[in-house]
Amino acid sequence: MTALSVPARQEEDASLRPVPWQRMGWVTWRQHRATLAWVIVFLGVLAVLVYLAGRQVYSAHAAAIAACQSASSLTCPGSIIAFNGTNAFLSNGFLLQAIPPLLGAFVGAPVLARELETGTFRYAWTQGFGRWRWTLAKLVPLAVVLAAAAGVFSLLLNWYYQPYFAAANQNLTLTEYTPFFPGIFDLRGIGFAAWTLAAFAIGALAGTLIRRVVPAIVATLVAYAALAFAAGGFLRQHYRAPLVTSNLNLPGSAWIISQWWTKGGKFAFSGWPPDRLLEQFCPNGPSGPVGPFGKPKSVAIAQCLTPHGYTQWTSYQPASRFWAFQWIEGGWLLVLSALLIAVTVWLVRRRAT
Amino acid sequence: MNVIEASGLGRRYGSTWALRDCTVAIPAGHVAALVGPNGAGKTTLLNLAAGLAAPSAGNVTVLGGRPAGSPIALDGIAFVAQDTPMYKNLSARDMLHLTRNLNRRFDQQYAESRLGELGIPLKRKAGKLSGGQQAQLALTLALARRPRLLVLDEPMAMLDPVARHDFMASVMTAMAADGVSVVLSSHVLAELERVADYLILMSRGRVQLTGEVDDLLASHRLLTGPAAEADRYAERLSVVHARRGEAQAHLLVRATADEPVPPGWEAHPVGLEELALAYLREPAATALPGPARHRALRSETGRQTEVTK
Amino acid sequence: MDIDKGISDEPRRAAGVSPIDFRLDPASGVPTYLQLVHQVEHALRLGYLKPGDQLPKVRDVVAALAINPNTVLKAYKDLETKGLAAGRPGQGTFIEATLSQVALPELSGLRRSLFGWLADADTAGLDEDGVVALFTSVLRDFYKRRDGQADRGAASGETEGVA
Repeated sequence: MTALSVPARQEEDASLRPVPWQRMGWVTWRQHRATLAWVIVFLGVLAVLVYLAGRQVYSAHAAAIAACQSASSLTCPGSIIAFNGTNAFLSNGFLLQAIPPLLGAFVGAPVLARELETGTFRYAWTQGFGRWRWTLAKLVPLAVVLAAAAGVFSLLLNWYYQPYFAAANQNLTLTEYTPFFPGIFDLRGIGFAAWTLAAFAIGALAGTLIRRVVPAIVATLVAYAALAFAAGGFLRQHYRAPLVTSNLNLPGSAWIISQWWTKGGKFAFSGWPPDRLLEQFCPNGPSGPVGPFGKPKSVAIAQCLTPHGYTQWTSYQPASRFWAFQWIEGGWLLVLSALLIAVTVWLVRRRAT
Repeated sequence: MNVIEASGLGRRYGSTWALRDCTVAIPAGHVAALVGPNGAGKTTLLNLAAGLAAPSAGNVTVLGGRPAGSPIALDGIAFVAQDTPMYKNLSARDMLHLTRNLNRRFDQQYAESRLGELGIPLKRKAGKLSGGQQAQLALTLALARRPRLLVLDEPMAMLDPVARHDFMASVMTAMAADGVSVVLSSHVLAELERVADYLILMSRGRVQLTGEVDDLLASHRLLTGPAAEADRYAERLSVVHARRGEAQAHLLVRATADEPVPPGWEAHPVGLEELALAYLREPAATALPGPARHRALRSETGRQTEVTK
Repeated sequence: MDIDKGISDEPRRAAGVSPIDFRLDPASGVPTYLQLVHQVEHALRLGYLKPGDQLPKVRDVVAALAINPNTVLKAYKDLETKGLAAGRPGQGTFIEATLSQVALPELSGLRRSLFGWLADADTAGLDEDGVVALFTSVLRDFYKRRDGQADRGAASGETEGVA
């Protein structure tokens, strides 16, 4: 039986160059422009709110500084309370910590999960572009754009938290945070952008593994939370070996990691003195400056105990290391993100449906 | 050139083999119909050929020996999956743009004029089109890529008769105009009789029957004769499927027209649907090219013999 | 088959247009390509097609009927083998010869004798299906015998005789 002859296409095979990468630019834009628009709107609205809140904080701060110029000012206590209470829900930064995981999960997870869930991968991955190149050409630009948007937003956050670090707070009982305070450390510098990038990369991998959008988003948030706790609670303090000193007058901006007391060269106790010692040597209670949460600073305790032969040791990270730590943390987050994206692309390339 | 060539191809999901021992060689320039009940493994085979899945056993090559899923294979094969997946939020024009960007060849003019002929508005979102229109859009995107092989997985499941006719007419016209080879799967055989000239019959993950339709029809006959004699001849003839009434029996046998008919029996040619149904009713019956295997003994009831070649 | 009106009166159509269109009877049980062949032969007999006319382009047939183009090619090849048509590269398939036509007086004579036979069959009690069955079976036997005689005649070098 005759069959139709197939027209020769030899010349096309000989010069089979891959479809150029830049073609995917329009594809990524068209498919994700709504998501990116939502990100811009979300960050934009938050920016306005943060700015307005920041104005309030700044004016309260200025008022407190002015009111407390003279030692016996009557308005000073009131202005201090006013400052501490201004937008207190934002002051420890934990609320804003939710932004990077939300951005990363809602932008990163659906990239692959939606294709797999709706079955459109059967269209996308049988086109000439090829599946792993398609994945890479989507994930990298989205990651870059998202991290950049987050980075710009974090400039505003940097500005917002300035009053809480100011040296002028030292002698007032204004709420103070060290630059390393867990809720605030990664809202500033490059940390915000780096964590957003990491969340995106986790989301992309979760989407590939889980293949359903909503479970992938949930999994991303859970994984991110675990990573953030691990980083803030355990990893960060070890980026560089802490300094150890017996100096009692540490600046308030130092991040105190641990404190312990020795007597006569031998370890006595760590942290807070046991009650019997307090009763023995500080019968009237420690006096002196009060730090956050109303606890007497260790300076006051030291004044009671030092005359009796006790030496206090403190291991800490000085505030001057803030940027060094930012680069270290940003660095490993970048490496982690690149690794996760590489694994995602590898899985797409290798894995069958 | 063989557009799809598989050798011992198998695919397993967990502990279940969706496809097993699949050895086929589909020649170019044909319309190959992949036929079988649901769960027969048709979609699995097509997914493997399109590069969407990787084999668990054996291998599959396309377009004259290229690995499935390789860039040349992706370039030359246009695959339309079941339920014609589409980005629901994108307009038809966006889908054209998308497909143009993702491929080396794309005939924009052909695609636009075809959609115009079919009455599919370019501005409308793909999700708002009817089932038939979505299928036609998917087909347009596939054909505009000027592939060498068009693979369609149950393309007409959602279409009404008119839409089905139009869809098939489009595919056949592309074949006539461009020399595209077509491989399509369906579990409705009747609509394939007009278009298929190569058949692959599948059942329970295995290929039962494969070959050019003309050859298959020429090598089978339906013998009608007295039921009492059916047993006697069943052993001598290669019976695929037997149906018997009180007095009369029908044996579908593998025999050519010039082989002698037992006296008192009538021989009729077999139609494609009848042939396919007979094989599908006898899962153990196969007629595959390959190494000669033993001839199984008659079963207890004596109704049929296993036929192997 | 669509009948083009005034086919012998109007001037020949523009090149590339065929006088006939094919149709398909999917339930008839006759293979598709044979249906096409028969329709061409039928058109030839009735005068709708003459030598020099173009058969429909494969692409047009396929677009209208949604059948495999190989089927159309097979039908056209069949006609070529029978000597009725021939393909011209780049142009299409054209009718080359016509079927032998029986002269009109002979035709009416044959009609009359057939009528008589049918009357006899009816008297004998054969119904319509019986008539068709009988006729088909004798028809087959006749051509088998005739072709067999022709083969034997050709083998022995004699000229073909019509039985």
